[in-house]
Amino acid sequence: MFEYLYMNLKRIYLLLGLLLVQMTAWASSAVGDSAADVQRPVTALFTAEAGYGRMLDSYLTPITYTGWHTGLGFEHNQACGFNPEQWQRQLSMGVVYDNVENSVGNNTMHHLRGTARWALMRRWTGVFTPRLSLMGGGMTWLQGGMIYNAANSNNPVSVKGHWTLGLQGIAQYELKLGRVPVYLRYQVALPVVGVWFSPEYDESFYEIYLGNDKNLVQPGWWGNRFDLDHQLTADFRLGGTILRIGYHGIIERSWANHLNTHITTHAIVIGIGGEFLSLKR
Amino acid sequence: MSRFSLLVSCFLLLALTACHDQPEWNDDPWGNFDALWTIMDEHYSFFEEKNVDWNEVGQRYRAKLTKDMTSQELFELCGDMLKELRDGHTNLIASHDVSRYWIWEQYPVNYDERLIDEHYLNFNYRQASGIKYAILDNNFGYMRYESFTDAIGDGNLDHVFTYLSTCDGLIIDVRSNGGGYLTNVETLVGRFIEQRTFVGSIQHKTGPGHRDFSDPFDYYFEPTKNHIHYQRPVVVLANRGSFSAANNFVSIMSALPQVTIVGDTTGGGSGLPFTSELPNGWRIRFSSCPITDVNGQPTEFGVAPDVKVDMSDADAAQGLDTILETAFLVLKQHQI
Repeated sequence: MFEYLYMNLKRIYLLLGLLLVQMTAWASSAVGDSAADVQRPVTALFTAEAGYGRMLDSYLTPITYTGWHTGLGFEHNQACGFNPEQWQRQLSMGVVYDNVENSVGNNTMHHLRGTARWALMRRWTGVFTPRLSLMGGGMTWLQGGMIYNAANSNNPVSVKGHWTLGLQGIAQYELKLGRVPVYLRYQVALPVVGVWFSPEYDESFYEIYLGNDKNLVQPGWWGNRFDLDHQLTADFRLGGTILRIGYHGIIERSWANHLNTHITTHAIVIGIGGEFLSLKR
Repeated sequence: MSRFSLLVSCFLLLALTACHDQPEWNDDPWGNFDALWTIMDEHYSFFEEKNVDWNEVGQRYRAKLTKDMTSQELFELCGDMLKELRDGHTNLIASHDVSRYWIWEQYPVNYDERLIDEHYLNFNYRQASGIKYAILDNNFGYMRYESFTDAIGDGNLDHVFTYLSTCDGLIIDVRSNGGGYLTNVETLVGRFIEQRTFVGSIQHKTGPGHRDFSDPFDYYFEPTKNHIHYQRPVVVLANRGSFSAANNFVSIMSALPQVTIVGDTTGGGSGLPFTSELPNGWRIRFSSCPITDVNGQPTEFGVAPDVKVDMSDADAAQGLDTILETAFLVLKQHQI
């Protein structure tokens, strides 16, 4: 079975790499006559989150660290110009910081990471009930950062760099709380394939600095890494203003070069934003 | 089942393979001991060179564990086990102590800073960053670099080598230099080479097996461009306290044609140390990435000098540093 999957890995990469392009093609072919007349308001939110982080990176230590997690984010949603009634795109960017310590409390690690994700999703409205809409499609996700362990000698930093292609979905349910429209949303991003940076088992960054760049880039798939970013939120629409509160969770697992990474965060997220009319049709 | 469904099912199963369990140990004498033994077993790089049967060592020391032993007793037991590796880069670090195996404690000191300051420098020297330097009465330059942890910049070295440029020869004293940053080695060596120079090879472990190593990666140093170089004869003074980065410096300099190594064999320490951790918060530092010399030979056990000489008490009583006096003779022979 493994051989079969490895043999098909290139094909899977190619298929998923073409997914976004193909989706655009499908969408373009479905453009209606009235597309140019449909308004495409932008919803944009700035978010802040805080919560709990749990972290294992065996390049730095075999001990799991726990502590607090914070982050800032920005999310931009807009219907696509080529078919605004059925297709939507989302850009989300953010930076997270975790401050975690070992169980005896005598050492701290710092995790800093920036992320940017772009998704193109098909939208289905009125699924089962007029209040429920679903979105699903492809996304591409770029992440970069590091975990820093000041107590280590020649392995003080574990550098993180991923570029992935995958799936993204949103389920949104509309209700009213008094006179206030509320959108309950569950959003999940699930990378499927990609590439990521990993030194070899005990390879020092000094050796990389000397020029040994062999095997630093790993092909990523569910056999060696699994990431999940999901959030359950409630968006309160107060006129043109949107207030968001909810939960944001991140799961990251990787296993390559005998190096093990487990990162899990759970956070309360709040946000503020608005719905704006784009000047660009 | 369609081919697509089969593929998706397989991927879902394989998603679990990315979730690899990490061994966990209890924070008790057995848990901490097993964590230490396992970390060393999977990461330490010189078991074969030192002919250490780590399984036997582990069994022998594990049998001494008791549930009532104090933290200090456990620390001493673990420290004794690590000493079986005879490695100066291997330390168990706790808040109250650091276990160590420092071989220079077993050999002649071969360095007396006060003697040099008083009888050769007359307490009259310059200091740029971590480098003490002067022109001696016999017109030989003297540079004392105490630790490779002391940052040295090209600006510092320009001042040093401009001042010493009129000397007939240069003595670089790295005796009792316990090491530091290898980037400082590169910075200093760059002043003594005129072209891209092969200086050694580095390996790293690629897995937990005792023989899981990468192919040696040959690395080169570039001459420092647009800065002053020193091209006259050079003597490097070394002793058993010349360890780690200083050991690496001596190894690289010994391969340069204009350089003579005088003194004692260096202390070794050619494995770039990594750090890990036990459940009780103690840290373990160990040799991880072996570096070999230009001939592919390990320098873990030290670099032998071209001229072996120890300091004599009789000379010291007369205010003479036997090793430094030997360096003068070597440089004078180059003048002939």
